[in-house]
Amino acid sequence: MTVTKHIEMRGVSKAYRFFTLQDISLDLEPGQVMGFVGPNGAGKSTTIRLAMGLIAPDIGEIRVLGCRMPENQAFAKRDVGYVSADMRLMPNATVGWHMNFAASIYPGWDADYAATLVKRFNLRPEQGARSLSQGEHIKAALLLALARRPRLLILDEPTTGLDPVARHEMLTEFMDVLRDENRSILFSSHNTVDVERISDRITFLDRGRMVASSDKEGFLDRWRRIDVQLPQGAALPELPHIVGRASDGHFHTLTTDQFSELQLARLGNAVRNVHRMNLEEIFVANVMHHRESRP
Amino acid sequence: MSVVTRKLIAKELYVNRWFIGGGSVTAAASVALAAAGGGAFNIGALTWLTTVIAFGVMLGIYGVVNERKEQSLQFVLSLPISIADYVRAKLFGLLLAFLIMWVAATASAVLVVLLAAKVPDGLLPYVLLLCFFMLANFCVVLCGALHARSEALVTGTIIVTNMGVSVFMFTVGLFPSLREHMFGATPVWNTTFFNVLIVELIVLVIAVVLPLVTVSRRRDFL
Repeated sequence: MTVTKHIEMRGVSKAYRFFTLQDISLDLEPGQVMGFVGPNGAGKSTTIRLAMGLIAPDIGEIRVLGCRMPENQAFAKRDVGYVSADMRLMPNATVGWHMNFAASIYPGWDADYAATLVKRFNLRPEQGARSLSQGEHIKAALLLALARRPRLLILDEPTTGLDPVARHEMLTEFMDVLRDENRSILFSSHNTVDVERISDRITFLDRGRMVASSDKEGFLDRWRRIDVQLPQGAALPELPHIVGRASDGHFHTLTTDQFSELQLARLGNAVRNVHRMNLEEIFVANVMHHRESRP
Repeated sequence: MSVVTRKLIAKELYVNRWFIGGGSVTAAASVALAAAGGGAFNIGALTWLTTVIAFGVMLGIYGVVNERKEQSLQFVLSLPISIADYVRAKLFGLLLAFLIMWVAATASAVLVVLLAAKVPDGLLPYVLLLCFFMLANFCVVLCGALHARSEALVTGTIIVTNMGVSVFMFTVGLFPSLREHMFGATPVWNTTFFNVLIVELIVLVIAVVLPLVTVSRRRDFL
């Protein structure tokens, strides 16, 4: 039996006057958390809005939960929870009104879970949306999305503007969601710590292009920084898969995206240290390498 | 019409409840003041006119423009609806909100014309034409707000439609076939009245149908 992918994008492009999203292809399988990482203006929000059917691609095909977007968005969105950092609730209504509104629309609304989230996020149902802070807006929007128990959560920078405690609460909730193997999350952020914590698949985006997409462990296993100290007069040997290098006299720092024993063997005794890289370092090195290699 | 669309229409009534209530009471109170005649008539009529125009503008700005500007549109569009559902819900929801106030304002104006001794009954056709003009005017504002992507364009539409009220009052009020019966003891329903009414209704229908045909088909909504 073929399992329906939760998100499928094939060759998606979208052009604006000052920005173009180019040739995005990605898959999100049930049970996966995809972290979407990119600097400001990379195209994360555009890609997410395309996935939500809020804008249409110029070329390419998008399917969400098997539904073609944006044509069948009304059907697809029955099982999609969407929250973005700049989303606001309706100003002349209370949080409680929004909860009742969502409960009347979504048959899967879990009132007990909603009540738990109200307490956990320290929200007050009687509070008007107009008086909510930015963080409270995000928490309330997340509550409304999570308590529906959707199959797919699409979250655009959901931790932006949240204090560390609220961020921790939120990430814990996301991890809870993933106990159910049929649910998935597409999660964009420029905070690589959050992405590293919850994602099992990571896509890097820069200047409207996908620069890399892989499972998290793959990135962490393949990328290394190698410190090298060469003897007087010796030249650095040619090594495959070196994507960055910094030199200071005899000292060199090499960045590789395909770390192997072969590289170490070629460098021999010159190797002083081999560092594992965290996601932020991998992201920056990846983006810089792609920017340099692009015409 | 889907359940979600119906709920969104009800949502418009709920979030604009204070506007609707406040507008209806102010409009009714201002025509009651106008019933006193003389200087009070002018003050009452002006307040009534301002209330109906301002109510329409507020609905257009708060209901469409601010929803987009304050990003609550993103929340609405995250619901299981299409762009066409959104446009339908917004159009009919805000139109219904306006109609509630408009019915209160029109009914009280008609009652005052018919019941107040100091206001001639002959004014009734002109008052009704003015009421329908305001309804059509609101539909044009709403149509413009749904079409326009920039706040400047919406502001432009509002300015033009507001100016339209003065133009209407002075132009239609000067039609001899309407003017000569305006201060009579009984209302006269002549061809000029029906011709003006038909034009108003045509504008109203176009303003309501246009967003359903054009904006609903937009593929980019944010």
